[in-house]
Amino acid sequence: MRKIWAVIRREFVERVRSKWFWVSAILGPLFFAAIIFIPLHFAASGGAKGIVVVDGTASGFGARVADSLARGKTFRVVARSAPRPGLLDSLTHQVGLNRLDGLLVLTDRTVETGAAEYRAANVSSFRDIDELRGVLDRLAVNARLERAGVDPATVGRAQIRIDLVTRKISGSATTGESSAQSFWLAYVMSIVLFIVIAVYGVNVMSSVLEEKTTRIVEVLVSSLRPFELMLGKVVGVGAVSIFQFAIWGVGGRLVLSQRAALVGNLSPGEFGQEAAFQLPPVPAATVAVFLAYFLGGFFLYSAMFAAVGAMSSNEQEARQAQQPVVFLLMIAYLSVFALANDPSSTYAVALSLVPFTSPIAMPVRWTAGRVGLNEFVGSLALLGAGIGVVTWIAARIYRVGILMTGKRPNLRELIRWVRA
Amino acid sequence: MTSPSRSPSPTPILILDRVSKRFAGHTAVDELSLSVPPGVLYGLLGPNGAGKTTTIRMIMDILEPDGGAVRVFGEPGGGRAHSQRIGYLPEERGLYRKMRVLDVLVFLAEMKGIDRRRARQRAGEWLERLGLTEWCLRRVDELSKGMQQKVQFISTMLHDPDLLVLDEPFSGLDPVNAQVMKDAVLDLHRRGKTILFSTHIMEQAEKLCEQLCIIAQGRKLVDGALSDIKRTHGGHHVVVGFDGSLGGAAHVFADKTLVSKVDNYGQYAELELASGADAQQILQRLVSSGARLSKFELQEASLHKIFIDLVGPEEVRA
Repeated sequence: MRKIWAVIRREFVERVRSKWFWVSAILGPLFFAAIIFIPLHFAASGGAKGIVVVDGTASGFGARVADSLARGKTFRVVARSAPRPGLLDSLTHQVGLNRLDGLLVLTDRTVETGAAEYRAANVSSFRDIDELRGVLDRLAVNARLERAGVDPATVGRAQIRIDLVTRKISGSATTGESSAQSFWLAYVMSIVLFIVIAVYGVNVMSSVLEEKTTRIVEVLVSSLRPFELMLGKVVGVGAVSIFQFAIWGVGGRLVLSQRAALVGNLSPGEFGQEAAFQLPPVPAATVAVFLAYFLGGFFLYSAMFAAVGAMSSNEQEARQAQQPVVFLLMIAYLSVFALANDPSSTYAVALSLVPFTSPIAMPVRWTAGRVGLNEFVGSLALLGAGIGVVTWIAARIYRVGILMTGKRPNLRELIRWVRA
Repeated sequence: MTSPSRSPSPTPILILDRVSKRFAGHTAVDELSLSVPPGVLYGLLGPNGAGKTTTIRMIMDILEPDGGAVRVFGEPGGGRAHSQRIGYLPEERGLYRKMRVLDVLVFLAEMKGIDRRRARQRAGEWLERLGLTEWCLRRVDELSKGMQQKVQFISTMLHDPDLLVLDEPFSGLDPVNAQVMKDAVLDLHRRGKTILFSTHIMEQAEKLCEQLCIIAQGRKLVDGALSDIKRTHGGHHVVVGFDGSLGGAAHVFADKTLVSKVDNYGQYAELELASGADAQQILQRLVSSGARLSKFELQEASLHKIFIDLVGPEEVRA
């Protein structure tokens, strides 16, 4: 036991002493923030689209559309011109030259039959198209009602939009979390879980590989059992990851206390979705679930990564051999949208029960919706059993692999190692 | 100097009893038995691929034998249970490259069951003894290869083991470190420690070993005290010098029951004894035949020669 403790301490001290640990402790959160927010930022903020409204309406409908669009943040109305021969072609040419983002063609038939045309270089932005359609719909309905003699004030009142506030029920208490916040929390968690399990799993792998390639492992296993060595290693690296989280947690509290300033910087005005970007309060139970599944996932995957390290003879081989393990871990990560959208679907339940996917799937489901106690206990029990079985198999591969040199074993040889 | 214990045999430190190890396709060690008495410098000799490292790994509990039994310090099972009393230097050596020298030594001593404080103190003493004190806080990869080798010896001997198991201890060492290693081994031997080492270099074994075991292709060819082995496998050559009168020497040399081969120079002859023949009988016959002898010498074959005779030249080259 004292020897295992020495192995744990060595793994911990050597890692925490390294520059890389502190670099990732400090830059890690920035890195996570970057990979989460930068794509969203770019998706949302291409800047306002400059368009020309080709107004062929006699009723003033085109003018109203142009005004309404100009008030929004998505579009900038460069001009409103009456149709004339050759105009469409010349504007299309302007779009081709990137001087203009698009053109909206309106005629009297727009109000009558709902026909309108938007030509642009990019018509795949759902947000742009949605906004355009919303404005046209609203104004067309207005125009039709007014034409039918309805009082414009009545129309105005009829068009007050519904502001649907979403609040997550956790247990039987309403939380302050909105659905957007739940989703973001789940999304962020899945990214953090995936990356940290993968990174620290790979740490275990390279530690095994180092001892194997330097042959120190021979001296070590002459003093303690291979399983004890592997256990010490996994626990030591695990302790480093928990320490890392602790640093991030303390740092995170500081950041949260400055949240207003942070949110202001991350989501500039044109976002139009500020509410969704408020960092949600994270309940203690969620933190507990997150840590429990992180540890479970870490032990499960570290055992596999340790086996991968033991069966490889160099970094390159190890990188190849780790791919199946990483893919396994990715299943749940790639399913995060499905999990958050419908946390009670059969697929989501299955992922949160299977030990290889539950470490990511269960925290995501937990955050996104309600998880029954039975499912929760079952998932943890299966994860525990999975860790037991996987560690047993990994330890047997490890025991043989650490002394092997030469070519990597094939599947049949691996099975023989496990059975031996 | 501890004398080779041929007298009432004390309990051996290490016993292998018909130990076998098979790997996919071939048998690395085949029913090997040997016994190492306490205080002895014991050589495990054999050509490359003979099964020396596999044998040592089974002794050290790194590999499990497929058959047979290992007893260390009188108890069944390999060395792991006694790791505090055993120093092990594998053939391929390495250290944690990124760790500080002192930390590596302390960690490896902890693996042997020494507590940290004592480990630090002893590591300090050893580093001083081998002139590495100022390097103790440097990282291993800043050390020269020779210095790393010294750190490896220290890690083997730091916990003052009763049994040292050294796999090809002199291979890859520079001459200075080979001397340091040899001195350390002899010093430990003087202090009554038991040392088992493997080598394929016979000259080295001949100078150091008191007892030995020669293996090839996983099988034991011979074992026992070096002097016994030389006597039984060595004393086949006799050099005879004449002082004038040859007497009936030619007749004696022609006796196939005594001499299998003769190289006769007239006043000088080299004989190879027939198997089972006794050199004393030849001496008697020569004297009684009237020959005057200036020299009659039983020549001891070198261990190298015995080794080649036993193993076969092809194996040695392998």
